[in-house]
Amino acid sequence: MITNERIRRVLETIPDPEMPISIVDLGLLHAVRVLRPDAEHDASRGAPSPSHVRVEIDLIPTFVGCPALDMIREQVCAKVASETGCRDVRVNFVHEPPWSVDRISAAGREQLRSFGVTVPDRSSPGAAGALVPLTVSGAAPACPFCGAAQVELTSRFGPTRCKMIYYCNACRNSFEHLKPV
Amino acid sequence: METLPDSLTTPLVELLLSIADDKLILGSRNSDWTGLAPILEEDIAFSALAQDDIAHAASLYEFVAQLTGDRADRLAYGRQPEEYRCAQLVELEDGFDWANVLARQFYCDHLDELRLSRLARSCYRPLAALAARLLAEERLSLGHADGWISRLLGSTEEARQRMLAALTALAAPACALCEPTVGVEALESAGVYPPAEGEMFALWSGAVAKTLQGAGVRLDLRPPGSEYTGGRRGRRSEAFAALLDEIAEVYRVEPEAAW
Repeated sequence: MITNERIRRVLETIPDPEMPISIVDLGLLHAVRVLRPDAEHDASRGAPSPSHVRVEIDLIPTFVGCPALDMIREQVCAKVASETGCRDVRVNFVHEPPWSVDRISAAGREQLRSFGVTVPDRSSPGAAGALVPLTVSGAAPACPFCGAAQVELTSRFGPTRCKMIYYCNACRNSFEHLKPV
Repeated sequence: METLPDSLTTPLVELLLSIADDKLILGSRNSDWTGLAPILEEDIAFSALAQDDIAHAASLYEFVAQLTGDRADRLAYGRQPEEYRCAQLVELEDGFDWANVLARQFYCDHLDELRLSRLARSCYRPLAALAARLLAEERLSLGHADGWISRLLGSTEEARQRMLAALTALAAPACALCEPTVGVEALESAGVYPPAEGEMFALWSGAVAKTLQGAGVRLDLRPPGSEYTGGRRGRRSEAFAALLDEIAEVYRVEPEAAW
């Protein structure tokens, strides 16, 4: 039996292509719908087999221009199909509600930090869409490696659409910080 | 509202194409700088911003395509030059001069911020949702452009003079950015494109002047006359055809190719 909960558990095992956490922890998952398109399906024959079910998954991209979207779609379709036997899996990318760093789970934040990627605080003014000046500001993250506050913004743009680069003057490591959107 | 009255489809298509075409052409022009920007960090930044502009255009073409039953690829690459609605500013060749590129980006980003802020308040909910998302990303681009302009104007005498020259040279086409699209009044009165808190040219030139003022610069920005018709009505500059030929090359060979 394919349920929303089962689909969600499958999605929790799919890592983001550019981030070392699952797409669910990253906050991409908006909705799952399990549909039974063949309305004439005879209820007396019991629950429909997975091959008669259509699964629709609404995902929210971090950035509109994220080049990993096609890869995410392919991975979701392939894994949900192989884990559940469903042959009709569809992924829609939606922009409502908009993605923001606030959607990243607590577990996801902790996991990112252990990989050297920091996330703006939920309460930081930057998270509301304000601009971060290209200087160390009150909203600057602590170094994920040594915890020092002596960090500076090296570049507002990083290796992926959603990250910027900081440098820690205490332990002399570079680290990535998610853009405050 | 969830669905758009039929009478507003054409005006909304005009408006959204003006934004999407600006972003497609600007993003394409800016892509020329990948590998050539002054420093490595800027190369990454500017390439990322060009990618954002083209992605924003793609999302708006997709939105228009769903309104009219068209295809996003055809809207992007398959129209005649006079069917595009971009401002002439984005078409101009930049002569591979970094000051020209920054001035153009600065002028355009300030307009995009204003347009997207209005659309994010639209009563047409699917459009407001998309615009809100684009606006959040647009602000990163605007902050980047403002930062460059301020720093170069406050830098060495040569940097200041070259930045000033570019800002001045592009001021006239930039002032035509706010040319209204056909039928925009109907969108405004219906709340699909809610009016700004003031007149668009005044808001745009005020925002531009504020950044320049921080660097002690005052530019004479004046709107073109009310009889002006330009890029928003399909009047293309000479540079446009060559640019379109280049970016539409793959589409013309294989219209079904995936982006």
